[in-house]
Amino acid sequence: MRQTTLCVPLEVKPESCSRLVALIEDLKRAEDKGSDPRTANFFRLHNQIPTLHFLSMSVFPAAEFDPMFIIEANFDGPPGPFWRQIDAVAGERIRAMIRCCKRPRDDTGALYDAVTEPGSKVAVARYLEARTEQPSVFHHGNRGLSRDRILEDHQLFLAVRAEIDRPTGGRPSPYRTGTAAQAQTLLRAAMLPVFPWLDDPAPKRISLSERISDIFRLLRFIVVALVALTLPGLLLAAALRWQVYLSMLGITAIIIFALLFKHRAAIAGTEVINRGKVHLLSPVKLLLLLVGAALTIFLATLVVTPIILAIDAIGRFATPFDTAAIPIAAREAAYVAALGVVSVFVTLPLIVLILRYNEMRDSAQDRPPQDERMLREMIRREDWIAQNHMGSIVLIKPGILRSIIIRAGHYGLGLFLRVTATDGYLGSMRTVHFAHWAFLNNHSRLLFFSNFDHSWDSYLDDFIEKAHAGLTLAWGSGIGFPPTRLLVYDGASHGRQFKNWALASRTVSRLWYSAYPDLTVDQIERNHQIANGLRKRSMTEEEATAWHWLL
Amino acid sequence: MALASVNSIPGSPPNWKLAPSLAIDTQGIVASGFGKLETGRALFLEFTWPASVPGGAWLEALQESVTITHGVPAAQQDRAAAIAFTGTGLGYMGLGEQALASFARPFREGMYQEDRMRRLGDRRKGAWQESVIDGGPVWSANTPPRDPAEGKLDWMLPYQVPHDGAPEEDIRTPLTVHALLMLYTRTEEDSRLWRDDVVALLARHHVDVVRQLELLLDVEHQGISREHLGFADGLSQPAPYGLTVPKDESGLVTLEGRPAARDPVQGVPLGEVLIGYQNGHSEPAPGPVVPTWVGGDPSKIDPRPEQAKLPPHSLAEGFADLGLNGSYLVVRELKQDVAKFWTSLEENAARIRAQDPTANHVNAEWIAERVIGRGRDGHLLCPAGYRKPDRYGLPDNGFLFRSDDPHGVGCPPGSHVRRANPRDALAPKDDQESRETLLQAANNHRILRRGRKFGPKIADPKVDDERDRGLLFMCLNTDIARQFEFVQQTWLLNPAFATLFGEVDPLLGPAGPMTIREKPLRRTVDVRTYVQLAGGDYFFLPSMAALRYLALL
Repeated sequence: MRQTTLCVPLEVKPESCSRLVALIEDLKRAEDKGSDPRTANFFRLHNQIPTLHFLSMSVFPAAEFDPMFIIEANFDGPPGPFWRQIDAVAGERIRAMIRCCKRPRDDTGALYDAVTEPGSKVAVARYLEARTEQPSVFHHGNRGLSRDRILEDHQLFLAVRAEIDRPTGGRPSPYRTGTAAQAQTLLRAAMLPVFPWLDDPAPKRISLSERISDIFRLLRFIVVALVALTLPGLLLAAALRWQVYLSMLGITAIIIFALLFKHRAAIAGTEVINRGKVHLLSPVKLLLLLVGAALTIFLATLVVTPIILAIDAIGRFATPFDTAAIPIAAREAAYVAALGVVSVFVTLPLIVLILRYNEMRDSAQDRPPQDERMLREMIRREDWIAQNHMGSIVLIKPGILRSIIIRAGHYGLGLFLRVTATDGYLGSMRTVHFAHWAFLNNHSRLLFFSNFDHSWDSYLDDFIEKAHAGLTLAWGSGIGFPPTRLLVYDGASHGRQFKNWALASRTVSRLWYSAYPDLTVDQIERNHQIANGLRKRSMTEEEATAWHWLL
Repeated sequence: MALASVNSIPGSPPNWKLAPSLAIDTQGIVASGFGKLETGRALFLEFTWPASVPGGAWLEALQESVTITHGVPAAQQDRAAAIAFTGTGLGYMGLGEQALASFARPFREGMYQEDRMRRLGDRRKGAWQESVIDGGPVWSANTPPRDPAEGKLDWMLPYQVPHDGAPEEDIRTPLTVHALLMLYTRTEEDSRLWRDDVVALLARHHVDVVRQLELLLDVEHQGISREHLGFADGLSQPAPYGLTVPKDESGLVTLEGRPAARDPVQGVPLGEVLIGYQNGHSEPAPGPVVPTWVGGDPSKIDPRPEQAKLPPHSLAEGFADLGLNGSYLVVRELKQDVAKFWTSLEENAARIRAQDPTANHVNAEWIAERVIGRGRDGHLLCPAGYRKPDRYGLPDNGFLFRSDDPHGVGCPPGSHVRRANPRDALAPKDDQESRETLLQAANNHRILRRGRKFGPKIADPKVDDERDRGLLFMCLNTDIARQFEFVQQTWLLNPAFATLFGEVDPLLGPAGPMTIREKPLRRTVDVRTYVQLAGGDYFFLPSMAALRYLALL
């Protein structure tokens, strides 16, 4: 089952901002029946939007912009049904909220008028859908598990636990007396009447077509990036003799690497220990790069061959389709393309070097101003359940190169995560349910939302201690981020500075809904593995023993 | 359980020391638990002097009877003392608003701030939790809640619509503690004599001793002592060392006379226990400052920081460093119910044996060891029994979990020692890099424990004698939120710790289930509430220079 992550950012009329906040708080009070023990929290959202995993509504004040109202939603399947369902649950309340927002100046203005005019019956979902912002990078923990799958797996887990602990009236527990494989068979027999779905095969978390499309899109990105990076080399390789061309490349590369080496270290006084190891080239990345390079050469050959043929034909006043010349031209073209690809060893380090010069002149904000009242409002909403939520907006550093890098970087990172993060976790981060980045205000601001396990502090500590490189890459483009080095080093490793910076960029999560408030990513995976074990009609003793540790 | 190897060498493993230049400015309790001074008193003080009395006068006078011990050990020490202050205490003594605002947030807000109480598992939705004594804790700093009017007026005022929730809860305790004075002596006799002297002296200076605890550390051998349940305690401690980057601090901590290298398992940067030195984030651990001027006029020099020899602060020009060589002291008075512990485990064992005739090995002792994670003598539980002692015949603390006991068949995943310091146990993969990363990550959340037990030893561990006893938990750290609070919230009381579900620390937490993994199938034990919070708060443990400054207030 595929999930969708999206957000709807709406600019707020500053005069109506406080009113909007009050409306969100009202909605939250109406839906959150936590004080009434007979109903579960947010039971209307739970029952009427059965695809919904996490939902949030927050208002971001800013010094440089008018406030921004953002609805964040993470759900199963395509957006269509979700919009209809949320419209049915809270349409009128959301309409009142939209009235607190500005009329957009683009072509959605008319729709805004239609939705907000007094007595309007136009579905607000239409407007929200039209104003939807797609994430630049997103991560889905427990990827491919639908909300209902997660809840059913958990019911099964509770039943299994109760069954194992059930008093046996003085006889040894049947699950202890035989082999592990026998115990699995017995447990399955005990669970099957209550959970008949154990007879069905486990639903596929990532379909083959989704997988193929993910890999295809990543390769396409690599090829486009390589073509862009090799274009100067391609032209030079065609114009110069290969000896001259390669010598030029070699000398330039040596100079660039020498300069990079010279500036590799942190500026004195800002050194920091990078705790996690940074793997710039893992086998997977190397393989992708080689496949990309081969594809690039192949495609370049396809493009360049007809050009050579055409030039040749024009030069000889011959017919353009001289079939005998094709292999010769193709060989020439492949030769030039291969030479051109080599220039990546110059263009890529050159970009890094220019960025390094930028980095050395960047300003890091050591002590960002922190609104005490907002901090209190954030903290009082935290640490009630197993998960927490954060929303943050930062300004993006200016500059043409930076703009290109951040867009290409986010796009590439997003595709890369789709291909690699398939086991339910985000690399070494094992606590992220749904997280995404998105650009706001014409790519001048970067939005970050995360639904994660445990406390905010422990979440940020995870970044600092285990995943500083990826985070530095994705967030290092934010104004005031702690000093980075070569895009992935330092940055988030400046732990306290990084936490202060991230904290100051946050806002209060006014309304936040989780469909499974006591389940961590780890627990969901555990439940799912238990369920998959019970789906099996039998197990080998070895399999069963390993499976028993999950119980 | 005779585990001491015949090859073990006498004595105890060497301890880390601070370089003398540093030690002389720190309180002795930083680098030493005063293990040779087994008896003592904890005196909880409340200040009551009238406004006309200078706030530092009592500290000056205290010196008649008490010398706060610095870190350079005297040859023959019969008495030692340590002192720490709460935020309200420093305020009462007249430390300025600015200086008070420069302390870390947890210290400023105190342990009883509404949200902090929830994170620490003590109070939720206005109700004390089971792991707190009936009626709530009896003592704290009684820090007032933050001013609700703070920051209320802003430029959007004309368009404000009311939406704020209830104001912050004002949580108070019957007793107010402004300072904690710890006295350590060789004999109980001397403790009593000294205590009487000090109480009389303090009374003359309007300082009330609002609570006292008789501390005890009955060392059996080689520094090993037991807590009230009968288990060897205080075994695993972080080992500070000086970082070399960006500043070289490697000479500041020594081991057997040489600069201490990073202990592969227990090593933490010095800045994790002492303010001003590089911490786990490779930056000087932040601490409080005092302005070097008086009366709102920066040209009017305040002579006191200079007199007290407070160094200038490295970042704030014109301010003196009040924090350097000091630390934050977390104190929690934890009452232990020994009889409940042993009787409830006895019941559990009986229930398990009744249900499962093959479970002959399950008795109260067996469960208790798994609740703790170690044997009575402190040896770690391993899949094959107990871990072999180190070369001194003492419990070996150089262990890791991930490779040796990945499923927690020996030391249960939710046992007290594994939760209190999971080391590399939470590594997702059993490869060198994953284990090392997780171990280093765990070491960013360590605390240096300095607690002692109070109350009499129980005669029969299964019979409740209705006497108060427990542990005066004390620990030093420089980042209360990242160290002490993290351990409490993310490890000890986290119901999802290590992919367990709905269970918390079996020793410290409220009643609930505990999973004990065993082949062929795990068992579940129902633990009760054995430990209850009777009082506590965050204290500032000043350096010797900062103490001199405070005496000048």
